[in-house]
Amino acid sequence: MPVFRRLWTYGAIVVISLLATSCVGLPTESTWGDISLIGDTPNILLSFGDRIAQINPTDGSLVELLDAQGKVRVDEDDNPRPWQVQGSGNPALHFYTRPIRLDDNTLLTAVYEDKLFEIDVPRAEIDNPSGIALPGHIVANPLLTDNFLYVPLSEGGLLALNPSDYSEIWRFTAENSKGMWSPPLLVDDTLYISSMNHFLYALNPETGEMKWEADLEGAIASTPAFANNALYVGSFAHKLFKVDLDGTIAAEYPTNEWVWGPPQVVDDMVYATDLGGYVYALRDAGSSFEEVWSRKVAGGAIRSTPLVTADTIIVGSRDHNVYWLGRETGEELIKREMRGEVLSDILLLEPNDTIREPLIIVSTLANEERLVAFSLDRGERRWVYGV
Amino acid sequence: MDFILNPFVTLLTFLYSVFNRDMVLAIIIFTVLIRLLTYPLTAQQLRSSAAMQELQPELKKMQEKHKNDREKLAQEQMRLYREYGINPLGGCLPMVIQFPIFIALYQAIIHALASTPLQLIDLSGRLLIPGLSSVIPLDNLWLGMNLSQAPNLGAISISNPVSIIPVLLPLFVVVTTWLQFRVTMPAPVPNDDGKPNQTAAMSQSMGTIMPLMYGFFALSFSVGLSIYFISSNVIGIVQYALMGKADFRRVFGLSSGNKMPTPPPSKIEGKATSSKLSSKTDPKLTAKTGVKPTTPKTSSNGTGKSAQKVNKAK
Repeated sequence: MPVFRRLWTYGAIVVISLLATSCVGLPTESTWGDISLIGDTPNILLSFGDRIAQINPTDGSLVELLDAQGKVRVDEDDNPRPWQVQGSGNPALHFYTRPIRLDDNTLLTAVYEDKLFEIDVPRAEIDNPSGIALPGHIVANPLLTDNFLYVPLSEGGLLALNPSDYSEIWRFTAENSKGMWSPPLLVDDTLYISSMNHFLYALNPETGEMKWEADLEGAIASTPAFANNALYVGSFAHKLFKVDLDGTIAAEYPTNEWVWGPPQVVDDMVYATDLGGYVYALRDAGSSFEEVWSRKVAGGAIRSTPLVTADTIIVGSRDHNVYWLGRETGEELIKREMRGEVLSDILLLEPNDTIREPLIIVSTLANEERLVAFSLDRGERRWVYGV
Repeated sequence: MDFILNPFVTLLTFLYSVFNRDMVLAIIIFTVLIRLLTYPLTAQQLRSSAAMQELQPELKKMQEKHKNDREKLAQEQMRLYREYGINPLGGCLPMVIQFPIFIALYQAIIHALASTPLQLIDLSGRLLIPGLSSVIPLDNLWLGMNLSQAPNLGAISISNPVSIIPVLLPLFVVVTTWLQFRVTMPAPVPNDDGKPNQTAAMSQSMGTIMPLMYGFFALSFSVGLSIYFISSNVIGIVQYALMGKADFRRVFGLSSGNKMPTPPPSKIEGKATSSKLSSKTDPKLTAKTGVKPTTPKTSSNGTGKSAQKVNKAK
């Protein structure tokens, strides 16, 4: 009987442990939201989950919808209508990408559910409810030029569409393509696109013909940063690369974890982050990177591009914190706790007619803190937008 | 509970990288490993269920004898189990342990096959072998299906034969689960009046419910989990066949309970203590199972006292 008892004990431990494992939740959303600015005296445009909303940067309230006479539009219950577009139909739509301005009254937005929609800005409504079908999910911002709309597909290649009728002009599908999860970058006459299949591609923007490819040894989830006549980008190979414009790898630097967000390049300094919670300050020495400092800042992944100001570097993390670091040494200056994971890029709002001080805008995955504004210099909370 | 999930995710990713970057192959190998790890439980299940089956006539007699005294009946049943070293729940453990394993595997498949940015970020840090990062993201497509998602029945088209696979997979799960049940469960031993006994009736209903339940899981959860179910069932049948316990005639209803292969005596950890009991034991039982209560040198509790008390009580 002792043998049975022991067996039962072991069995019970295994069962309880494995059952507990089943409690490890999966993310409920596919990706994080995007923050951008819209208008001359800009409002904040927040795309997240099933909606796009315009937020007033002075107090974090939803912008009210105005009619042609400048009066606030009201709904059936006489309540003011906010500027908000919701894709809560069946199936629900998910807006993770930044809307593109087509003209004063029209925005173009790509949804995760394989479609493009045009939004009528004055009415805050989708113009074409059935949408324009695309051959795959979209998790990265499309790029609009005069003659092309480039759309990266999360399980496929890169589409070049005619922006006037959205017809396909060309499609670039890499060998062993594992999808393209970052916006393309157009520099002069070359279109650069990162692929999850480890390769960075340089394409002819008119024809989609490949000029060169560079193997970065791991999946590339971000757009390269262009500076100093070179491209800077990290990969899941735990490395940050400098790639010359002919596709030659000029320098590389080992990181502690996967690199996701694009680095920020200021003069000859390159500031990068990784999913291990590290921040790196590197000097571009031409054919190598010289480490000025590197520091484990956060207990969770840092996905976003670091926001670099005159004296500080600001990063957000999956550990629900935002960190202000000294630019020279990387020491922690300020730390602010949030309700949710911080994965979106942080936006810097310069003072204007309506805002007296520079603000940084942070988006989290928590509904109660979808957007939070902090003062840049002291990290004081100014307002919160939640749903 | 990352300390459980992360090794699962790492092992699955490692197998993927080793076996030609083929996720289906990785899941099958993973299943073989799980089956090997749970082999002691499988063997115990086999022994317990066979022995329980064989004890039915004795239990039936007890039920008749103590039909007005449930407490006494329970005591007597427990004594019988103890004397033959049978854990009445032993047959359930391997089945019960399957559930958390497939829940953990389901989680591992979803996490390893991360198909969205948030899932992929979640995967970072879970891989315990650094070099595995080079295979990320894993290919999650197999025969046009996303292994991390439930089969899409809406995509079925008559013009495309491959699109029928989402229907076939749950069907294969049902069939292989039923096959495994038929081949591996001992044939029911009827009562003296020829009617199926209680345990047999329960087994029969389990044999109907379980395949349907697993089929429902296959429809509701990821395609990768269906691969696990099917390979687990097939490996289970092979495992039982190699142990000489599989009765393929039962699939076609050709085998009767009396022809069921019997477990080897040495496998039953019986410690019968009473010669009185053994004389009362159904001779048919002893003949069929080869499980013969033996007079021990020590009692079931190691003192030699309690067993005597039981006998005196009788």
